[in-house]
Amino acid sequence: MITNQASANSLPLIRPEINYSRRKLANKLMLSFTGLLTLAALAPLVWIIGFVAIKGSQTITWAFFTQLPRPLGMAGGGVLNAIEGTLILTIIAAFFAIPPGILAAIYVADHPNTPLGASVRFSTDVLSGVPSIIVGLFGYALVVKTQGHYSALAGGLALAIIMFPIIVRTTEEMIKLTPRNLREGSLALGAPEWKTYLSVILPAAIKGIITGILLAVARASGETAPLLFTALGNERYEIGQIISSGIRSRQGVWSIFNRIIEQPVDSLPLTLFKYSQQPYPERVNQAWAAALVLIGIILALNIIARLWVNYSSSNLKGK
Amino acid sequence: MEINQSSRLTDKNRTHPFILSELDSQPQPSAQYPAFAPKEAEQIIIEIKNLSLHYGKFKALGDISMSIPQNKITAIIGPSGCGKSTLLRSLNRMNDLTPKVHIQGQILLDKVDILGANVDVVEVRRRVGMVFQRPNPFPKSIYENVAYGPRLYGIRKRLDLDNLVEYSLSQAALWDEVKDKLHQSGMALSGGQQQRLCIARALAVQPEVILMDEPASALDPVATLRIEELMHTLKKSYTIVIVTHNMQQAARVSDFTAFMMIDNPATRTGVLVEYDKTIKIFTNPENKQTEDYVTGRFG
Repeated sequence: MITNQASANSLPLIRPEINYSRRKLANKLMLSFTGLLTLAALAPLVWIIGFVAIKGSQTITWAFFTQLPRPLGMAGGGVLNAIEGTLILTIIAAFFAIPPGILAAIYVADHPNTPLGASVRFSTDVLSGVPSIIVGLFGYALVVKTQGHYSALAGGLALAIIMFPIIVRTTEEMIKLTPRNLREGSLALGAPEWKTYLSVILPAAIKGIITGILLAVARASGETAPLLFTALGNERYEIGQIISSGIRSRQGVWSIFNRIIEQPVDSLPLTLFKYSQQPYPERVNQAWAAALVLIGIILALNIIARLWVNYSSSNLKGK
Repeated sequence: MEINQSSRLTDKNRTHPFILSELDSQPQPSAQYPAFAPKEAEQIIIEIKNLSLHYGKFKALGDISMSIPQNKITAIIGPSGCGKSTLLRSLNRMNDLTPKVHIQGQILLDKVDILGANVDVVEVRRRVGMVFQRPNPFPKSIYENVAYGPRLYGIRKRLDLDNLVEYSLSQAALWDEVKDKLHQSGMALSGGQQQRLCIARALAVQPEVILMDEPASALDPVATLRIEELMHTLKKSYTIVIVTHNMQQAARVSDFTAFMMIDNPATRTGVLVEYDKTIKIFTNPENKQTEDYVTGRFG
């Protein structure tokens, strides 16, 4: 409120036309500046993908997906062992990371201020910051040393440790995003807490949780370091072979399953890491192709996750 | 029941044909904030005795006593932050979900104290249902929303569930609108339909009392009117307790009205100032604060 004696006549006139062209120019400059920097931020992504695509596509053939590696120095062959190994490692990791991750997230979301809730949240934050090579060493000490051999199981467990904090944090966020009154609506009908979570809150948050899981899977399937000391690598790994020989020698399902997870396995990042260090040009070219396949898988997972989120948010509104 | 407030409130000495003569013979309040007991004609379903509630050190409700008559609509009105919703949520122990709540006193539901240690909270919440301020249908189909409660209590047979769903939706005046799309998402309905779906969901577990926490405040006037009409039909079979900010709504729908307020600005404890027949509260209140509030002279 104006308290002095200023009258309406003595007030300065506000004239928007002054400096108009200068303001317009400044606006244009800043806009093009932000646009330029956005392009600069996007450039590495496009560059990497383009570079890998050009280099890798030269080596990619159908055989690359369906054959095992040939002996060193020979042309041809594929990375079937690594593709199957990546799959097995990811399944094992998901098996060990997803159920406890979701349960922990429910606890943390439900009891944020209790000592246990706060410490679980703090330790998942710390865990997500632990260098992945240390996770690999931990897997080595925990599984490989006690079992006496490298295995897909050890690699999967190491990847599970990478996935766990991602799943906990995304699930916790998704649970917190579900409206509070949804929970109250269920409890007011007399539903116990576990039932409320199982049939109301998790279904309401499920799409977001699945997105988080896909992102965690994408992250884990691209890890190399945790596998160096745990999964090791195995150029002769072929699941179809294990299963068919198992059936021929009349082994039970359980022992076939054991042979699948008890062997050392390769994965795409591991293959890429090893091949790129070798002095054979065929191997280096195959490393590029493996990189392309890996990027393709991770990109596909990310895109699926995004599409899912868009689809689910429109679905939740009921439109 | 329509009350033309302006003319009736201005002239306090006028005699009103619809104010029952029994008002004159009512006992004078003895305590500062009297516990009102409806006349013997009313069957009491919930009796609140000296209820006090603390959030940590903050005393949110102070020594509230009131009796809620069966098959009537009881409205709780008062300014924001006076503890109306807290009182309502005590009646089906929803306050158990809030940390650091400490409750003293008694709430007798059919003569049994629901605050007792060995009371089954699930059974309390089945008998005392709740409808919330914002419609909160579950992200499930309309059918599954209504069947959710009965399933909790072990009803599994398809035919039984079908019957319950149809009956509850009809009671909530929603059946005709949704009978052809029972398996579509409950969240695709309009706001008013969602709220009636939530009422149907509460009715499906066959409660005796329904608590409504500002059930129409998120709805447009047409949807509000439908909810109010629905409440009138529902009170034949259920007891309704409604918290509302809207005094016209309280005057329109309720049989009894409780006026709550904070005792003083420093402690901010909610107390029951006056509780009586709605007609009396809105036309001839005993308490000056009640009169100021219902005439809009304060808050």
